[in-house]
Amino acid sequence: MNIFIHEWKSYRKSTLIWSLSLAGLTILLFSMFPAIARDAENFKRLLEGFPEPVRKAVGLELDSIASFLGFYSYMFLYVSLCGAIQAMNLGTSLLTKEIREKTADFLLTKPVTRKQVLTSKLLAAVVSLIMTNIFFLTAANLMASIVKTESYSVSAFILISISLFLLQLIFLAIGVLVSVIIPRIKSVLSVSLGTVFAFFMLGIFGSAAGDEAMRYITPFKYFDPAYIVKNSAYEPAFLTMGAGIILAAILAVYYIYSKRDIAI
Amino acid sequence: MSVIEISNLTKIYGKARGINNISFTVEEGEIFGFIGPNGAGKSTTIRTLLGLIYPTGGSAKIFGKDCIKDGPKIKKEIGYLPSEVFYYDNMKVLDLLKYSASFYKKDCSKRIRELADIMDLDLSKKIDDLSLGNRKKVGIIQGLLHEPKLIILDEPTSGLDPLMQQKFFDLLKEENKKGATILFSSHILTEVQRLCDRVAIIKEGEIVTLEKISTLKESTYKKFKIETAAPIDKEYFQIEGVNDLEEDGVTASFLFKGNVNSMMKKIAGIDIVNIWVEEPDLEEIFMHYYEKED
Repeated sequence: MNIFIHEWKSYRKSTLIWSLSLAGLTILLFSMFPAIARDAENFKRLLEGFPEPVRKAVGLELDSIASFLGFYSYMFLYVSLCGAIQAMNLGTSLLTKEIREKTADFLLTKPVTRKQVLTSKLLAAVVSLIMTNIFFLTAANLMASIVKTESYSVSAFILISISLFLLQLIFLAIGVLVSVIIPRIKSVLSVSLGTVFAFFMLGIFGSAAGDEAMRYITPFKYFDPAYIVKNSAYEPAFLTMGAGIILAAILAVYYIYSKRDIAI
Repeated sequence: MSVIEISNLTKIYGKARGINNISFTVEEGEIFGFIGPNGAGKSTTIRTLLGLIYPTGGSAKIFGKDCIKDGPKIKKEIGYLPSEVFYYDNMKVLDLLKYSASFYKKDCSKRIRELADIMDLDLSKKIDDLSLGNRKKVGIIQGLLHEPKLIILDEPTSGLDPLMQQKFFDLLKEENKKGATILFSSHILTEVQRLCDRVAIIKEGEIVTLEKISTLKESTYKKFKIETAAPIDKEYFQIEGVNDLEEDGVTASFLFKGNVNSMMKKIAGIDIVNIWVEEPDLEEIFMHYYEKED
């Protein structure tokens, strides 16, 4: 419990910054919606000027972009990109921070098991993500109630919003896994940004090519807003895939970390 | 009762040498010195004891329990001071010490104040703003605040001024009187000489010798230096038991091991102006062990 509290305290500031930024981004993007909705026809014509693969790549759906959920699906891509960076960053620094700042000796010579250390740290990271999501959900709901032009499926809206948290859990797990495989990461930000953007670009190319199999490779495509809007549910196959990745990564992390030599 | 029992402990890092087949025991209430140059395997041994790294072979027991399997349990009674002290920089000293204390499930606040008074450390400062010596003090307090039964020190004195070193040694002696066992690793022999009862000398990952400090000094060598009126015959002191003979006209100095009487008779045979007979310090003995092996 003490490790958890200590860790959480060390995340407080960055959590607040991420939460406010993400909420700010949400508010900014939502505030563009009234203008788009008002001028829907012109806007669609403008978009038609773009080649179809480009539109597909960035997730622009001509039919739905001017509808509230359609717009939300589109802007959510960028929110989820930021969220993924936050989660990946948290994950990669979770254990490497102790190595880099050489505090691992302090922590691991205390009467605790490595499993306890890892569990506390993971919980603190998850709490940090939950806080961020509370900020995001509040901002999103607030803005939705202000800018909506029509009634929309609340459950689809909530499901899309919550997929941010699920995506973040996946990236958190990937981040921690990367950090136990490469324990001496000098620059966490470059590793986490690199990984997230790689997955993001894979998602974009996958969409442009319309390749269904590509969807399994990048977590950015696990929660397809179009499907959620239509079915008010997540796709079971991808939900399983996501859970599988998290479970496998976390198990591997526990295994590797408890066997690892803590180098000087 | 043995507090530490190391048997055939081996740790191999890839191709680099770690430690090879190390065995020794540290008895309860003892201050045990662990001596060797940098890279000889002192830290490797200590880090294995603390479960930071895992042995390739052999085992180590602390308080009779396996140091890997029962690691978390035995660490309740261990205080550890690493050679280089690193802590969460943005924390205040007091917060760090409280965090450290929170692992031991007992109230350490009084002990923290006491130790901070002795070591003359300002608890309200940020770790980040501390000098090397003051960080070391934080390390010392952090290692002792829960009144551990076993104190493990890995080159603890670097960065401490002589006055603080003295205070620190007094503190250790006091803890030792109260019943704490101490494992003290160092490459500085004089500090080990001042503090320890027994010493293990480690070289290139292997224990070279294990002795009481007193026997190490007694049973070995006497240092002779003789000044004579007339130049000494070069062959005069070339007898059995003499080592490192240096002659410079009217002075001769050497290390002697053997019956002192025979040496005294030998010396009585010449006309001497002055004589010094000294215990060699550990440094000389230590060098001797190292040279012998080469």
